[in-house]
Formats: sequence, structure tokens, C-alpha cells
Amino acid sequence: MDVSGMGATDLRRLEISNLHREFGEVVALEDASLSVGAGEIVGLVGRNGAGKTTLMRSVMGIIGPDRGTITWDGHPIGQTDRLRFGYMPEERGLYPQMRLLAQAGYFARLHGLDASAADRAARSWLERLGLGERLDEKLIALSHGNQQRVQLVVALVHDPDLLLLDEPFAGLDPEAVESLSETLMARAEAGNAILFSSHQLELVERVCNRIVVLDGGRVLAAGSLAELRERLPAQLRVKVSGTSDWPARLSGVQVVREDERGVLVAIEPGADTQAILRAAQDAGPVEHFGFESSGLIDLYRHLLSP
Amino acid sequence: MSRGSVIWLVAGREISERVESRAVRITTVIMTVAVVAAVVVPGLIHSSSKPTRVGLVGSGAQAIGPSLTATASALKVKARIEKVRDGATARAKVKHGSLDVALSVGSSGATAVVPHTLSPQTRALLTATLTVDHQRSVLAAAGLPPATIREALAPVPLATVAIAPPPSHQAARAVAAIGAALFLYLVLVLYGNAVATGVAQEKTSRTAEVLISTVRPEQLLAGKVVGIGMVGLGQLAIPVVAALIANAIEQSAKIPSDVWFLLPACLLFFALGYGLYAFAFAAAGATVARQEEVQITTIPLTIPLLVGYLLASILAGDPHSPAIAVLSFVPPLTPSLMPARIAVGTAPWWQVILAVLIMLVAIYAMVRLATRIYKATLVRSGPRLSWREALRVRPG
Repeated sequence: MDVSGMGATDLRRLEISNLHREFGEVVALEDASLSVGAGEIVGLVGRNGAGKTTLMRSVMGIIGPDRGTITWDGHPIGQTDRLRFGYMPEERGLYPQMRLLAQAGYFARLHGLDASAADRAARSWLERLGLGERLDEKLIALSHGNQQRVQLVVALVHDPDLLLLDEPFAGLDPEAVESLSETLMARAEAGNAILFSSHQLELVERVCNRIVVLDGGRVLAAGSLAELRERLPAQLRVKVSGTSDWPARLSGVQVVREDERGVLVAIEPGADTQAILRAAQDAGPVEHFGFESSGLIDLYRHLLSP
Repeated sequence: MSRGSVIWLVAGREISERVESRAVRITTVIMTVAVVAAVVVPGLIHSSSKPTRVGLVGSGAQAIGPSLTATASALKVKARIEKVRDGATARAKVKHGSLDVALSVGSSGATAVVPHTLSPQTRALLTATLTVDHQRSVLAAAGLPPATIREALAPVPLATVAIAPPPSHQAARAVAAIGAALFLYLVLVLYGNAVATGVAQEKTSRTAEVLISTVRPEQLLAGKVVGIGMVGLGQLAIPVVAALIANAIEQSAKIPSDVWFLLPACLLFFALGYGLYAFAFAAAGATVARQEEVQITTIPLTIPLLVGYLLASILAGDPHSPAIAVLSFVPPLTPSLMPARIAVGTAPWWQVILAVLIMLVAIYAMVRLATRIYKATLVRSGPRLSWREALRVRPG
């Protein structure tokens, strides 16, 4: 832990500015910018091929960007900084024939821990993730889900300042998802900066302080869920018994979907909600009338709609 | 953490992974058994170095026992004498192979019973003994005093002066040359493949991506090469020490003393050859997309090793070949050809030193080239790259 106090911790920030990377004809990242501060969990969402993995690999120095800068703590990232990063790549990879304790201890030592500290950290993290009984087993003897836990242990074992997790929830059972999200929130509480990518939007919504939506290598939107919601038109749910085609006659109103709970309509800013209510009353008895907050899924659909 | 300690950490993991592996233990045992057998078995087969077992049948023959021992030592022939009761027992013993010859002495002469033929050496021993014994009894009958008889029959010391040293162990040298080249070919292919397979495993299991985010590729590569090299040296040292012990115990082993200096030469050229080839094999391992492709990508590297071995076997028959002398300075061929030239005795010391220097330059160039390919291809996904493509990949 940093003994110089909170001031120094606050400075710890991953700053990615105008990152650009092409692979032949394919533009993987196009002027992408984002930042992750200490104590913050940032979720990276987007289709397959949106550039999430390229972005993380660039931070870890595995691929070099064509343009743009990546800084940590205000300076360009070097090998010494990366010793304080924890990384879980999209394509998992550990030594299949190595025993769990030896494996986690080895990676801890590569990150600069001495032999006894590495052993202690490896033991404690394996125990915390429910693998305490299997310290001397080879990785290959474990189930897919448990191998993934070991991968997570390797990312966490040296108590990193910045965590980069590429789809850490993929392939986990609900229990493991729960324990991983708790772990992440606890790490953030302890001052870690965390960036993770996921396709599980409800999870991102629940765990993250901020969300970055990537598409075609570009940042489409970034901010807290509340901030992002403001970009969406407000949504009204209205149920009129016996009919559902009444909103078609109104201007400035768009039907999002309709189901047994009524009609969900998007309304433009400044639209007259009382006029909508009157129109509904004219159509029949109104059973329900109220604003509905949109989730990340709606936002995602809205942002990525062609 | 310093660069050096990271390399040692990586090397340490390689060593413990291999020491734990059953395959490595089994190959060590097989190599040890093979080398000890190579030392001991020729000694067992080569009976000439064993004492000739002579059975003396009946009192007449047994009387010449002391005389036989004295003659054997004068002729520098090893003989073990055994008294046998009668002719039938002696025949049985010769038949069963517990005696090489059974000698009986009669009034008109002596009879030697042998399995097939009487070797010239044994014939000389027996004839000389019988003749001396006969002369002793004639001289005694003539009334000469025993001191005079002893003096008359004492062997005349014979000193040998060689004008030119013997063509020392030409056959043994040729065998040693081929043996050394074959040995270096095998161990370089073995440990080269271990490096290539290890690199390919890290690449195809995607462990490399986690590693490269922490460790510099150069450190990872150097640690792997050093770790596997140390396991290799250990695996070689065990059979060599076992062979030395076996040779000390089984004195009969006919290894000419001037061939023993080949051992340090082999270790030196193993180290140099490994330095050159291990990095090339590592680069080959990094270009694959799937583990099985290691076999294909390493073929171009095993060819020069094989050619080196074949040239060494030609050299064994033609130790002064100028073409092979020139080729022994070509770095990929040096590790097998230079020890072979040392074995046949046609490599002056200055040529050995020159070859070592050329090797060091070649290793330096290879480390740079291989590191470049390794860095560019280790965390790259997609199909296997040809060597030419691998060189063109932009690093990072």
C-alpha cells in the first residue's frame, strides 16, 4: 500500500488517449480514449471485434499502437509499471502441467514478490477462490470453471494496482459470478483501478461505476449508467385496456415495443406527457401510466442500432 | 527485480518442470545404461585382455607350475594356473569353458587340449616353459650347479625403442570420432526439440500472453534456453561420470587414454552447439499455430546437424580430408565436425580456438535473429508462419 496517503492514490489513473491500431485492412481501434481511476470499476462493452481485446493488449504492451498514448500515474507505461498490473487475457493461458500452488507462486514471483511472500499470496488467493483443497493438483486436472479461477488468481496474486480483465465472467457458474463480482468490488474499495470487458450487460450495470461502449474500434459512449441514460429518450409505459394502436396518431412519440404490460413509447425531450395521457384516455380506460427507466440493454440497442 | 534474476526464475521453472517429468528421468537412465554398456561390454567380449586359464593335468605338468608363472611374466602374458586331477576332468573343464587350455606332460612330449585352436600367444608361452624346463633337467643331469643353471636360463631383458610413435589406436580414434559426432547430433536434436516444444507449448496454450505482459520476451527466451541447457548438461554429466567409474572398475575396457580428452571437447562443443541451435529451435517453436507443427518447422534445423554427423563418419575413414577441415569452421557444422577432427588427431589447437571464436560470433548473430522472430511471433495468432514471413512480421 502507498504510505504517502490518499493524494498519491488519487493520481493513479490509466489514461488512454486517441489510441489507433490497424491490422492490415482492419481498423481495430480508431482514436479510442478512456480512463480508469483508482477505486473505479469501468466496464467495456461492445460486439465481438469492437476492439476490446486490442485495447487491453495495448495497455499490457503486447501489441504496440500505431498512434495515441497510454499513461499510468501520468507517465507512459513501462515494464516496471506492468509488474503492478494484473491481467486476465481473453484467451486463457497457464501451464497445464504445473501444480496450482507452484503456478500461482511462480507468477507472483515474476511480478517481483520474494519466494515466501509469493507462496503466502498464492496460498491465500487460491483458498479465497475455493481451491484451497487442490493446491498440489495440476492445472489440467481441473474443470474449465476452476481453471478460470486459477487464471483469476494469477491476475490478482501480486495485489496489483490496476486490473485488466478480458471477459472474466465468461464461462463461470452463477455462484462464481457472484463471488467474482464481490471480489472486484472489494478490490475497487481497496483502491484498485479495474477495467473489464463483458457481454453480460446486467452484470456490467450492477458492478461498474462507469461504462464504455466500443464499436468498430471507436468509443460510442462513456459515462456512468445515469449519464448514459440521459442520452436515451425518456420512456413511458402506458396500458389502455382493449387497445394498443392509439399512440400511432401522436407526433413526437415512438413505440419501442408492446406486450401484455402495455405499450412502451419513447418520447422526445419536451414532449407534452399530458397530451399523451389524454390521448390514452380517449382510447379507453388507462390501467397504467408511468415513466420507465431504461437499462443498459436498451442503451446498447439504441447506440448500436444501424 | 533485475534482468538476471528474472532469467534465473524462468530457468528454475524449466528445470523443475523437467526434473519432475518421467520422460526426462527415463532418458537419463537409458543414456546412462547405454554409455556404461559401451564401456564395459567390449571389455567383456575382448577376452585377450583376460588372463589365459591354464589347467595343469597330472604331477608331470604340475611340476612346471612355477616355471610357467615366471615365463608368463617375462612374456608379459597374463596366465592363471589351476591344478587338475586327471585328463577327463580337464577335458570337461575345457569343454565347459572354465579352462582355455589343459596341459599334460608325458615322457615323449606334452599335449595341450584346447576348445578349437591354440592361440599363438598361448602356444609361445607353453613352448617356452616346456623348453626351459627341459633344458633345466638336461643341464642338471650334466652336473652343473643350480646357480649356473639359473643364470643360463634367466630371460634376457629386452628393451624396445620406437623410431616413430605407433599409429596410435587408429581404429579407436575413428570409432571415437563417429561416436562423438553421433552423440552431439543426438543431444543437440534432443535438447533443441525440447526448447522448440517448450516455446510452442507456451504459445499455443496462450501462457505466453500472460508472461509477456510481465517478463520481457528476451528474458523469457534466455531463461528457457538456460534452464533446458542446464538440464541437458546434468543429463549428460550423469552418464559420463558413470562411464568413468565403470572404466575405473572394469580395467579391461580398451579405451585408449588419448581418447579421453575428447570428453571435455565434446562438452565444450555441446555448449557452443546448443547456444547456436537452441535459439534457432526456439524461434521455430514460436512460429507454429499448433503443437504438432513443431515437427515440421524444426526440420530445416536438423538437416545441418545430420549433415555434420555424416561428414564426421566420412572423416573417420579419411582423417586428412581438406574439404572437411574447411567445413569444420562453418558454424552449423562445427559442433559435430570439430570434436571428430580432434578425435582423429588432425585438428591443431589454433584451429580449435579459431572455430570456437567463429562459433561465438555465430551464436551472437543467432541470438539476435531468433529473439527478433520470437518476439514478433510469440503472441501472434493465426496460421503457422514460414521462416521468411516470420522475419517480415513487424515486432509488437
